[in-house]
Amino acid sequence: MISLARRAHPFTAGAITVALIALALVLPSASQTVVLYGITALLALAAGAGAGVRRGLIAVFPLWVLLFLLQGVLGEAPRVAAPWGGTLSQPGLLWALSQGSRLAVIATASLAFASAFDPHRFLQAAIARRWPFGAAFLLVATLDAAERLGQQARQLREAQRTRGVHVTGSMATRVRALPALIFPLLLASLTEADDRALALETRGLMIQGPRAAIDPPRDSAIDRVVRWVALACVIATVIWRIRR
Amino acid sequence: MNHTLRISPRLFAIVPAAVAINLVVGTVVKELSLPVFLDTVGTVLVAVLAGWRAGALVGTVSQLLIGLLTGYQYLPFVLIQWLLALITSLATNRHGFSSLWRTVAWGAAAGLCCGTLSSVISYYLFGGITGGGVSWVVTALRSLGASQPMAVFAGSSSTDVLDKGIVIVVVGVLLRALPKRILGRFPWAARAVAK
Repeated sequence: MISLARRAHPFTAGAITVALIALALVLPSASQTVVLYGITALLALAAGAGAGVRRGLIAVFPLWVLLFLLQGVLGEAPRVAAPWGGTLSQPGLLWALSQGSRLAVIATASLAFASAFDPHRFLQAAIARRWPFGAAFLLVATLDAAERLGQQARQLREAQRTRGVHVTGSMATRVRALPALIFPLLLASLTEADDRALALETRGLMIQGPRAAIDPPRDSAIDRVVRWVALACVIATVIWRIRR
Repeated sequence: MNHTLRISPRLFAIVPAAVAINLVVGTVVKELSLPVFLDTVGTVLVAVLAGWRAGALVGTVSQLLIGLLTGYQYLPFVLIQWLLALITSLATNRHGFSSLWRTVAWGAAAGLCCGTLSSVISYYLFGGITGGGVSWVVTALRSLGASQPMAVFAGSSSTDVLDKGIVIVVVGVLLRALPKRILGRFPWAARAVAK
């Protein structure tokens, strides 16, 4: 079954992500950002982007530990008693909670968006909306190039190992392996660029004017309402924050 | 310095490749467990080949793409990529890649500038905690009694001097090793390595 996040118009998922990130930056107190994190995680789970919640937790957990150590344990006075003995910084703990949950919202929202992101669907939506084709093309071409170059890097690593290059061992050994692993990649990328440039030119990349989307994703009334609601939430929160 | 950016088909071909270089070289370095990132090689390379605006474009797209993999909490660090592209372009203009020592000097200068900016972003936006090895260095320095701004500055700048220095040296070595036939297609790069 296709998840709600994948069925929705690509701009809708993007709008919700941007709105959540904006709210995380605008909301001032720790309790509010903690609630927003809960809402973000629930929204991601409900939309079938639970992988984003899991990956978000993996991304922010080390930050939480470090924030607790640096702000809670080593933070400024006034200090409060810790349950296990010793003391903790009260303002440091509050700051760590607020910053930790804010970062968690940003990581979870963006990784949930990424887990459902389909570059080719996005490109079709951008063409249908008459967005600058170059920007959309760059994003999609980059995703393709990253996959291709990653594959080349893996093949190169194996080839160099068979030629006797050691990729494990002491720091000096690993540093010596670095040129053998990256210089061929860099050279290959540069030499390929001209062939690709010619291919792009002959396929009309630089032609100006509107383009036809072959299979644009459906932009339903619900999608449009959700995007307007997301925008309204951010505007209302900013106004509330300014008046407060 | 190159002040205009015309997106030519060649740039359209190079920018995705350079962003991929940033991501893939970063991954290779991570797999080798080296204490640097080297995730700005593509940015520096394109800044040399096509000017600082093209380098900044590569940096921006890289940061947006890294955000898809690790979350957008690190997006403010895109400023480091822009600064690095600008400094690289300055180095290109002043024949900074003509010899190894000149390249090392420009690398150290770029590292110091980027480290300073990185510590400001890290301190004001993240309270000094950005994850990874740098944050552990900051925490260790704090526990030894260093003030928070000093610990953040020392942690960020020492890492960046090493990281950006190596990146610029790697690109310098690559440029000098490039066949003349390829170098000839990029007048900016040819100027950078000219004595």
